[in-house]
Amino acid sequence: MPGDTRTASISRRDFLKASAAAVPVAATANAAVADPKIQYGMLIDIRRCIGCHGCSVACKAEFEVPLGATRSWVEYVERGAYPDVRRSFLPRLCNQCSNPYCVPVCPTGATYKRDEDGIVIIDPEICIGCGNCILACPYDVRFLNPDTGVAEKCDFCIHRVSKGLAPACVEACIGNARIFGDLNDPDSEISRQIATHPVSVLRQGVGTEPNVYYIDADHAGEREREQGQYIRITTHRKQQERR
Amino acid sequence: MSNRREFLKFGAASAALAVAGTDAKAKKPAQFKKGGMDFSPETQKARQAVPTACWQCVTRCPVIGYVENGRLVKIGGQPESIRTGGHLCAKGQAGVNQVNDPDRLLHPLRRVGKRGEGKWKRISWDEAISEIAGRLKKLRDEGHPEKFMFHYGRMKGSSSKLIKSVFLASYGTGTIGNHTAICESSKWTGQELTWGKHYDNWDFDKTKYVLNFGSNCLEAHTNHTPVAYRLTTALVDRQIKMVTFDPRLSNTAAKSSEWVPIKPGTDLAVVLAMCNVIMAEELYRGEGEAFLKFCKVTEGADATTEEKINALKKHLAQYTPEWAAGISGVQADKIREIARELATSKPACVVSYRGAVTHYYGSEAERAIQMLAAITGNIDNPGGRCLAVGAKWKYPHGPKNKPKTKKLKILDGFNGTVSLPTHHVSHQVLSMIKDGSHGRPDVYMWYCYQPVYSNGDCKENIAILKDESLLPFTVAVSPFYDESSELADIILPDATYLERWDWEDMVSPNQVPEYYIRQPVVKPLGEVRDFADVCCELAERMGFPLGFKSKEEFVNQSCAMTPAVKAAGGFEYMKEHGVWHDPKARPKYYSYKKEVSPAALQVDGVIFDEATGVYWNWHKSKAKSAGEAGSTGYTRTKKSYKGYVGQKIGDKVYVGFKPDKVNKSGYFEFYSHIMEEKGFAPLPSYKPIPEHVAMKPGELILTTYKVNVQTHSRTQNSKWLSEIYHNNPAWINPETAASLGIGEGDKIKVRSEKGTIEISARVTPAVAPGVIAISFHCGHWQYGRYASGEKTGFGDLHDPDGARIWWTDKGVHPNWIIPNKPDPISGVQRWMDTVVTVTKV
Repeated sequence: MPGDTRTASISRRDFLKASAAAVPVAATANAAVADPKIQYGMLIDIRRCIGCHGCSVACKAEFEVPLGATRSWVEYVERGAYPDVRRSFLPRLCNQCSNPYCVPVCPTGATYKRDEDGIVIIDPEICIGCGNCILACPYDVRFLNPDTGVAEKCDFCIHRVSKGLAPACVEACIGNARIFGDLNDPDSEISRQIATHPVSVLRQGVGTEPNVYYIDADHAGEREREQGQYIRITTHRKQQERR
Repeated sequence: MSNRREFLKFGAASAALAVAGTDAKAKKPAQFKKGGMDFSPETQKARQAVPTACWQCVTRCPVIGYVENGRLVKIGGQPESIRTGGHLCAKGQAGVNQVNDPDRLLHPLRRVGKRGEGKWKRISWDEAISEIAGRLKKLRDEGHPEKFMFHYGRMKGSSSKLIKSVFLASYGTGTIGNHTAICESSKWTGQELTWGKHYDNWDFDKTKYVLNFGSNCLEAHTNHTPVAYRLTTALVDRQIKMVTFDPRLSNTAAKSSEWVPIKPGTDLAVVLAMCNVIMAEELYRGEGEAFLKFCKVTEGADATTEEKINALKKHLAQYTPEWAAGISGVQADKIREIARELATSKPACVVSYRGAVTHYYGSEAERAIQMLAAITGNIDNPGGRCLAVGAKWKYPHGPKNKPKTKKLKILDGFNGTVSLPTHHVSHQVLSMIKDGSHGRPDVYMWYCYQPVYSNGDCKENIAILKDESLLPFTVAVSPFYDESSELADIILPDATYLERWDWEDMVSPNQVPEYYIRQPVVKPLGEVRDFADVCCELAERMGFPLGFKSKEEFVNQSCAMTPAVKAAGGFEYMKEHGVWHDPKARPKYYSYKKEVSPAALQVDGVIFDEATGVYWNWHKSKAKSAGEAGSTGYTRTKKSYKGYVGQKIGDKVYVGFKPDKVNKSGYFEFYSHIMEEKGFAPLPSYKPIPEHVAMKPGELILTTYKVNVQTHSRTQNSKWLSEIYHNNPAWINPETAASLGIGEGDKIKVRSEKGTIEISARVTPAVAPGVIAISFHCGHWQYGRYASGEKTGFGDLHDPDGARIWWTDKGVHPNWIIPNKPDPISGVQRWMDTVVTVTKV
């Protein structure tokens, strides 16, 4: 791509070139990538989450996420009647769905799910900033970057994972609540933890097949409020409505 | 599928194979590494990693700063740290925003309009230093160095040694203020009276039960991250039980096995009642009873354990659970149940913080909590409440012949108001300056401190600082233009902590000391200078050079002087690694049980005090002769504690609990002669909060708290933190709100004896009835765009986020209506005692 080295999105594109260039070096490995395929996922153990926002800030710093936008955030769910009150925390990020609603609505193919590791990504060069994906996502994890006009969201820190590092939010977690790894590998820690604990996903009923799992999450929401229970769900995001 | 997507298809997995150790079958790293490295998501290049130390709060975690193109972009945990285990909280990570604050001060400033008017002129460092050195030298030459008052908020490690122990000591002023009385000095005084030193480490790695009175350690604590990750691990992996007493459901209370709401200021009553249960039901048997050997419970020094038990039973008989229930609102059965659990779960850790101690008689609450830990055998043991362990640095002491310091008597509160101000009474300093009967400083300089915002009664603080007839010359040392530097005559732009050197020594939660340093992650911006470097120059100009030219040199020399660090590789090793501990060191417990060698008792000057059983060296006290020391006795000789050698118990002499600030014996003292002499009960005793006794129907108690993403006053300029937490609605229980006709989100007036604030209401069952809870942190009117919404006009850094501040409510500062009132024992500011009336606007 001669001459295209000016903007952030173009620099990002150079990464893709660099990655491609690395392929021949690891040629023997590539042949083996297809079977079994990797599906990266995350397990968040809410018992260990203290609501500290370490993940929120780690993500802000890693990508210099502009004010008003969030790739990673924490919701507080408080409910009960005095003195039997509970507060639980619900860290949020892209679910890297196996059936991602954001992919089919993308008119240019910029959003797609990677074959080799199941991470849903946005090609910044192809994205036209139409916002279809932002409306389509049942989890409200996407935003248009105000500087580039391109859709962004969590990509499990591909740039770190590709170097053998855990995603920034995983590293930052004070309670070691986050486990990142390959859901298709039965021997990975994440698979072992999921096999031995009751886990849940967000909005299971909508058919997105999320790859972010939770242990002990409080999924309380509007239904409980309608039933007359005290429930307060707070988020530090600009958009106060929860999706 | 496009070509680009073909590229992407092979991106991450193949690169992972190339870089990390891999599992051949799975085609991915066997384990994803945490910490120590970071890469740019744009260029994929490694970010430069610089080990250093945090300063966003007093925990001062070792961290790693990541730099890209000379700009600090990220801060992460230090995986080599045994304190943090590589963890770092949101505040620490947002330190990036301190360096890159678009509103920070970059040049020295001189006031040109009226004080506080906001008119400034940029001046050179030479002009600033000449003016200050000239004024200070004149005071010193006239024999009045004490008229230079230096008041710091946060000053630790090498900064404290260089500025206080070397520069100010060589200059000759003892008029040095701190901020401990607006923090937790009652806790420290209570500890100094019982076990001598201050600072209790909670051994969560090994405990089986945690009983917490008023600590929010999962959000804000003096050793926050090291403690928070250990506690979380203990709660989940070892399934320990934790009970938290707090009027408010803090996140710590929320993560506890049980939250017990309690009326503010009544922890003391509940603790005494628990002691009552444990003594009456003989639950002290075992470790507690054995520990009594090392405790002083009666007037005499050599009581038997049985006599001690009887004395305790007798004293505590009045404090029944039913009595405490009437005071605290906690049911008597609940008090019994928890007391029994505590006494039978071994080891158990009794925890306390500001919720229990920043009250009238707050230091008495800490004494009682110490007693509760002691009678259950949970003092300085694995899994219990332990004496703190930290690094012991050696450092250059500067000029040999230092003058005898002089000081103005404005540090310890008005005469007769505070009996044992072992950490001063900083919130009374401005009032005492206004009063003037003990003199006033000609030069008042503050450092990393916010006298206006951090104390109660902001309005009065502003009035005093503005008044040139009270304070003729004021200097602020600060990286930022805040509510206090606004009232200075000269502002010296300090380096942020990410642009300076230090060695650090904060307490290790695992009882093994950790040595670590702070080093510049980026070059200081603009003309900013570390104030310690400025002190070196001031000293030189005044004619008493310190023997080193900069803090870097001071830290370098300290590394060479500290044997363990020198052996590890000294300054060069510390610069490369940031942190060091002795891999062979074992956690330190039971230090009091060590016997004193007979040789130590034969040293010249060591005498035995019959009344207390203490061996002490009178040379180190204020006594003028052995005869005077002998006849006056250990307890009454001034500074006798400085010569403490050991405590005779039976026929042995033990290291015991060494005194630090007061002339206590080497026993763990339940019974305090010092308290008795000051007119208080010698054994921990209850006294109600006078204002609470006098409350009228409908009045509420205002309680304050801190949240996990802000420190008290100096993180609100961090945009990533203020985006998360920028306003602070007042928490009020639904029942209380209903009785006052207040609904969710209503604007309310909160009125105290000091004035009224308007704030919005959050009606929540997560707070006890009869209470209104308002956090610190918010309501800045200076401190830059992210804190107050206002640009300072001094910074020149580009930050596109400045135009993206989406919140308009900046919250309300509660200190406007909280009076500065000291605990009569320790002098701690009574943050949680204010009585208010609340009405809907």
